Amino acid sequence: MYWLERHQLDNLVKKLTESYELFGPRRDKVSNEVIFDRLANPLELDLEAPIPYNPPKYILFPHYEEILRYRYDRQSKQVAIEKLSHLKPKALVGLRSCDLTGILCLDRFFLGQEFVDEVYLEHRKKLFLISNTCVRPFPQCFCVCTDSGPSAKEGFDLDLTRVGDRYLVEVGSKKGQNLVEELGLKEAGEEAAELKKKVVDESVSSFDAFALENKAWISRATNRLTTGFIKPEVWEYIGNQCFECGACSFVCPTCSCFNVEDVNRLDGTTDRIRTWDSCSFEGYTKMAGDHNPRKPVEDRRNKRFFCKLSYSQSKKYLRPGCVGCGRCARVCPGDIGLPNVVTYIRREITGD
Amino acid sequence: MEGNLVPIVTVPEIATVVEIRDEIDEVKTFYFHFDRLEIEQAFKIRSGQFIMCTVFGAGEFAVSLPFSPENDRKHISVRRVGKVTAALHQLQPGDKIGVRGPFGNGFPFEEIKGRNIIYVAGGIGLIPLRSSIVHVLQHRPEFGRVILVYGARSSKDLMYKESIREWKATENFETYFTIDRPEPDWTGEVGFVNQLVAKLLLPADNTVAFVCGPPVMFNSVIKELKLKGIKEDKIYSTLERHMKCGIGKCQHCAIGRTLVCVDGPVYTYKQIKTLGEQI
Repeated sequence: MYWLERHQLDNLVKKLTESYELFGPRRDKVSNEVIFDRLANPLELDLEAPIPYNPPKYILFPHYEEILRYRYDRQSKQVAIEKLSHLKPKALVGLRSCDLTGILCLDRFFLGQEFVDEVYLEHRKKLFLISNTCVRPFPQCFCVCTDSGPSAKEGFDLDLTRVGDRYLVEVGSKKGQNLVEELGLKEAGEEAAELKKKVVDESVSSFDAFALENKAWISRATNRLTTGFIKPEVWEYIGNQCFECGACSFVCPTCSCFNVEDVNRLDGTTDRIRTWDSCSFEGYTKMAGDHNPRKPVEDRRNKRFFCKLSYSQSKKYLRPGCVGCGRCARVCPGDIGLPNVVTYIRREITGD
Repeated sequence: MEGNLVPIVTVPEIATVVEIRDEIDEVKTFYFHFDRLEIEQAFKIRSGQFIMCTVFGAGEFAVSLPFSPENDRKHISVRRVGKVTAALHQLQPGDKIGVRGPFGNGFPFEEIKGRNIIYVAGGIGLIPLRSSIVHVLQHRPEFGRVILVYGARSSKDLMYKESIREWKATENFETYFTIDRPEPDWTGEVGFVNQLVAKLLLPADNTVAFVCGPPVMFNSVIKELKLKGIKEDKIYSTLERHMKCGIGKCQHCAIGRTLVCVDGPVYTYKQIKTLGEQI
């Protein structure tokens, strides 16, 4: 491990901007919300800021993206199809471990199954990832329940842990090693690992004091969701609280359902676009001719939590689909963020 | 998947519609071939698979393949039902379409050699079964009894009339046809498919059944087949769902723990029962 002094952080960021577009947490001046955003000015990077309102998944998996453009001339019967790719290498600095875990889930889902998603791969192969240990949890966090924090274990190029007024840097890849050497960071010696462990342990033990909003003991819920032994009344109760707004899907670091549409442009070409979608929407499963196999809203809610917690879906992510960031609980206008749903399911088991 | 090219995943391959036939009301068959010779030669399917078909300027839809993996003209048969299929129905011979695929698991073929096979189809449910029927008939000596029970609302609603004429004349292929109401020149059966299945003397041992049709027909036929003694894991069907990607990513076609596009579209009735959603 290496030491990164405060003043060296600017060097690191400056170095990255030479070859990457820079993304990181910054405070929006108007709303005062922390957002994970493109940093036009590297000084906006705020590594101390609480967990950002939005996960960084949109950088790898944009809300709206043109994937193909074609032109078909019916007169001459000529078709020209062009695969669109306009991606610059991007550096994501200050990822919280939940969000990094979310990216790893997306990786395994998009790249590790029977088919490789070529569109995602294009985004993914040009990233530089720097994670940031949460030395103290935030009110909404429950990553200790989902094994995704407070410190990243894998998947980063560099991992930062604040110790006093400097950062311990753990290297996770060749790319990361190169950067550390270019910056001439000082080696941290043998006691570094012990030091980091101490910071992380302290963070874990402070969850009871600071992370008060959510708790989710998910193992029993996982068992129930996988075997399907959850009473229909529980889903009805959950479904009754769903506004079908889709917000939970859009702030979830691992939700990756998308829609594909062909959009005609004024110049006679057509864009094939892919956009975020949510299984909470009624039209999500509706087929041509209006047959909809998944009608009631509780059916659709059932699907989302099955995706987050069931064993069959976990096999695709190699871990639970929930990373414990607590965003769904924050944005849900009903009361069915994931931690609450886990509680409802457990309540049925324990009878509390 | 047996010795075929890697499916076309992202960018559709361009194909030319060479012939269009009116099958029944609102259903047309589009014969096509790929513009690139190497794709035309390498494009191999399994019965029961599907493709994602692009109608340029309108969009893309999932459609099952009715042609045999061997020696059969490439075609799709499509009912006009939504925006994209309506645009497809506007096409003329010579127009281009885009094709991605083939996707999905497909019907068993090698595994069912030596067995009796019962096909039960209702209406346009014959479309996906046609591929398997033609393929099995091409290898007729390798199978036991082969039986088709096909029903439609009226004689006008029977798909693939040309194939049916051929099949009626095919030796060792038992075919039964039924329509809902009597018609003057109709010589086949009258009544619903499930009633016809109930009447027939069908084999049960060493037998597999393929069933495809509208949900009501499907459920009633399954009931009859089970009464005849055919096991739930020997009854196959193919499901359709709203699909966007075909490669297991968009998740629109999720049923229970499976995705129809990669784990299906062919399921046994035993599996379908556990999926927890209506057909």
